[in-house]
Amino acid sequence: MALTRRQLLKYSGLGLLGAVVFAGCRIPDREFIAESPVLIPEDLVYGDDNYFATLARPNTGVESVLVRVMQGRAKKIEGNPDYPMSRGKHSAQAEATLQELYHPDRIATPLRRVGDRGAGEFESISWDEALDELAARLNDHLVNPDSIAMITAPLRGTLGTVVQQFSENYGLRRYAFEAVDQTVVRTAFNRMYGQERLPTFDIQNAHYVLSFGADFLSHWHAPLHYNWHYGEFRGETGGRGKLVQIEPRFSLTAANADRWVYVNPGTEGVLALAMAKVILDSREGNADAMALLRETIEFNAQPMNTVVEATGVSADVIESLAHDFAANQPGVAIGGGLAAAQTNGLYNMTAVYMLNALVGNVGKKGGVIFNPPAPIPNVVSTAAANPLMDFQRLADDIRANKINAVLIRGVDPAHGTPASMQFGRAMRENVPFIASFSNFMDETTLVADLVLPDMATLESWGDDVPEPGPGYEAVALQQPVVMPFVEGRAFGDVLLALVDDLGGRTTINLPWTNMQDAVRSEAQELWIKNRGSVQQFSNFEEFWVAVLQRGGWWDTNATGGAPQAPDLSQDPGPSRPSFSGGASTYPFHLLPFPSHSMGDGSDAHLPWLQATPDPITTAVWSTWVEVNPRDADALDVREADIVRIESPQGVIEAQVYVNPATAPGTVSVPMGQGHSSFGRYAEGVGSNVMEVLDAISDETTGAFAWGATRVRLEKTGRRERVRKFEGMVVAQTLPHRTVYEISTGNGGGAH
Amino acid sequence: MAVERKWGMAVDADKCTGCQACVVACQSENNIPINEPDHFLQRRAIQWIRIERYWEGEFPDVKARFVPMLCQHCENAPCESVCPVFATYHNNEGLNVQVYNRCIGTRFCANNDPWNVRFFNFWEPVWPETLRNQLNTDVTVRSRGIMEKCTFCIQRIRRTTRDAGMEGREVEDGDVVPACVQSCPTNALVFGDLNDASSQVAHLREDGRQYRILDHLGTEPSVHYLAKIDPYAASEGEHA
Repeated sequence: MALTRRQLLKYSGLGLLGAVVFAGCRIPDREFIAESPVLIPEDLVYGDDNYFATLARPNTGVESVLVRVMQGRAKKIEGNPDYPMSRGKHSAQAEATLQELYHPDRIATPLRRVGDRGAGEFESISWDEALDELAARLNDHLVNPDSIAMITAPLRGTLGTVVQQFSENYGLRRYAFEAVDQTVVRTAFNRMYGQERLPTFDIQNAHYVLSFGADFLSHWHAPLHYNWHYGEFRGETGGRGKLVQIEPRFSLTAANADRWVYVNPGTEGVLALAMAKVILDSREGNADAMALLRETIEFNAQPMNTVVEATGVSADVIESLAHDFAANQPGVAIGGGLAAAQTNGLYNMTAVYMLNALVGNVGKKGGVIFNPPAPIPNVVSTAAANPLMDFQRLADDIRANKINAVLIRGVDPAHGTPASMQFGRAMRENVPFIASFSNFMDETTLVADLVLPDMATLESWGDDVPEPGPGYEAVALQQPVVMPFVEGRAFGDVLLALVDDLGGRTTINLPWTNMQDAVRSEAQELWIKNRGSVQQFSNFEEFWVAVLQRGGWWDTNATGGAPQAPDLSQDPGPSRPSFSGGASTYPFHLLPFPSHSMGDGSDAHLPWLQATPDPITTAVWSTWVEVNPRDADALDVREADIVRIESPQGVIEAQVYVNPATAPGTVSVPMGQGHSSFGRYAEGVGSNVMEVLDAISDETTGAFAWGATRVRLEKTGRRERVRKFEGMVVAQTLPHRTVYEISTGNGGGAH
Repeated sequence: MAVERKWGMAVDADKCTGCQACVVACQSENNIPINEPDHFLQRRAIQWIRIERYWEGEFPDVKARFVPMLCQHCENAPCESVCPVFATYHNNEGLNVQVYNRCIGTRFCANNDPWNVRFFNFWEPVWPETLRNQLNTDVTVRSRGIMEKCTFCIQRIRRTTRDAGMEGREVEDGDVVPACVQSCPTNALVFGDLNDASSQVAHLREDGRQYRILDHLGTEPSVHYLAKIDPYAASEGEHA
């Protein structure tokens, strides 16, 4: 029965009878425990709560968090104040980890496919049956281990070790998938400085930040950490730093920059080299670096008028930015995002990162900081993904029936690769056996034969070597903070359990029985080191408790590599970008971007993140296309018009959002939506921009050039109001009355 | 113990990046119903703290300005005086308090609130059974037909005050941290006792960039903003 508010008041007045009526309502017992009665806030009654340090793994990167647990339920995520990458802060995305744990569409038991592939018909089976079947099917195909592909997200820490070792022991093909490929930036640093790990940009101590396409405040590398850096960068101590964002799209970082400079897509490298030439010519760089780099810069830099024409940036601006950058040291140049997602991505990144070398800020405070690996051998410290090209080859091999089994965990390439690759279709039609270790029925899991639900992050053991890191050795630990909510099993535990079933070579370098054991072994090695943030314990058990309480271990004295001269001997590829789609037929550059809250779409199933407004457009629960006002006039479209976005590869529909900051000739569409299967909150929302992106890659690294597709827009004649926060409340401002104030920062106050 | 407190907040607009961490932290802490797609179309989405985005200019000279907006906990709150049942009142710690089980849903307060930071529950809040496990046991789930708004996380103020009392010490600056302030990665939000001259928030109130939104209405907001710094601003001064 439903109890109305009026009835509640009535029954409450009847004392004992009220209790009887409540019992008759059959509200589950759990709710009485989990929810406080209706009381005024001052009278709240407290139960016992506990805080546990563990990790959250949202789409924006791993964060060390404290979880408030009350009566066995996780209630709140808070940043770990000790951990150097968090400093007590946490992101919106980390908070939503709670909704992953308690999601109503979590897969509760192992499933076996009974219907056709992709029909979504599964039967629930026991874990014993599931593991027997998995072992049997793998044993069938192990005669040809190269026909078995293991696909996971890029993994660091002991799980990375377990997966890598398991794959190596059997000779399986191992792939790490990330939809927004970071290969280009990694390759640039690897080639120039021999660094395997991503560096950290010391924005906090910089006076000047020159960012080429790296949207580090929203979705690039370690946004939580860089947001913290940004707060310090804007702080009072040491003066207020200046941020210049050079990017064809008005990203969140561009919105927060002191100055946003539009540059034609793919010409960032040409621009950076022109700036390097200015610095060189005016002798404003570091003397040693100028001597070393002179030949390279003079050989590669193009004449100023060519640069101006190619980039769309005026000579005055190029010169003033170059002088400012050189004069305001320490400063740092950062490159990534759209600048790297081009067919000449590596060229762009090499040119941008050369600027740092030129002013001599590599390995220095306020510049580029290198990160050392974890101090424990065999723990994976670098999570490099395979470039898109590897997945294209895999799709070809699948189509050629060279792949007999796919083990896939926690990634959704059927949604996250360009539709023209037909990856999902190849999996569905040509792979004899697919096992998915997933909590949710995403597009890839939908075609699996066996679904083995993983543990949620807050239920499992694990660890992480932060990348980018704090500039010194650090290991973060993850412990289960609640009992498993469904019958899941941790992926690592399943692999380690398979060791017995498969026999043979599996035990090589895999001495652990489960992930807890693996993480403990790692902690033991840290204990033996007896240095860093947790030290001087004579007993390992005491150390183990202490290190779990702190959420990890780090040693501020164990810093990364010393500054070194860049190696520019390898060919960085072509300087000119190429695009899919001719400019006459497809007049707009499509500049896609990872959704601020949902990233590539791996968190699209979490309602808090669906309902989090995009910071620039304030749009929610949808896919929109940002169009410049003049372009919108020319196309005769306005907000809420539904348009067809057509590329040589495909068509999607999206609602128009007229954005005054969108550059003419470009349009922007967020990634992450358009799921046909991924739980009730993601399904049927918006469209997937991957369906129009061409599967073209950076010519040198093979990384996905997701910024290199051109499109045309066509009105459909249909309209649907944009779901957005903007306009939710009526502004009640009066002319000449303040809503926000601006200070030029010259010691002046507000007005 | 008998210190007269006046809780307040400082918002440094120069540090706010618009990242939305505060928005989701608040929703998690305060059992705010899931804002489903239709709620936005009906203009009935609930966000106790929100990030307002203002446009200035057009491409290429375009700026987006972010202003975090929450209940301003005014000293002379226009929403309080119109409540016929005293569901909203000012307490002795400077908080604009909403008593849910007094509220009869006239919505007069929302009508009188110039900041649009009061929200009416047009529906009974609905969560799937499993998601209810996350609900904060310290915070009442508001039923249909009543108003709700930012409380400055009164449950955290109470918990901290009580814990300090049990430990026999005074509440110090920085002890009470509302969920939004706790999450803010750039430290743009600062919370504390405005009556404590040594508190960080009292210090920021004296900053040259300090201003209060809709200050001319004379409501004496307890949220103090620090102006955004823009060395390239077209002109220094006010924007509406």
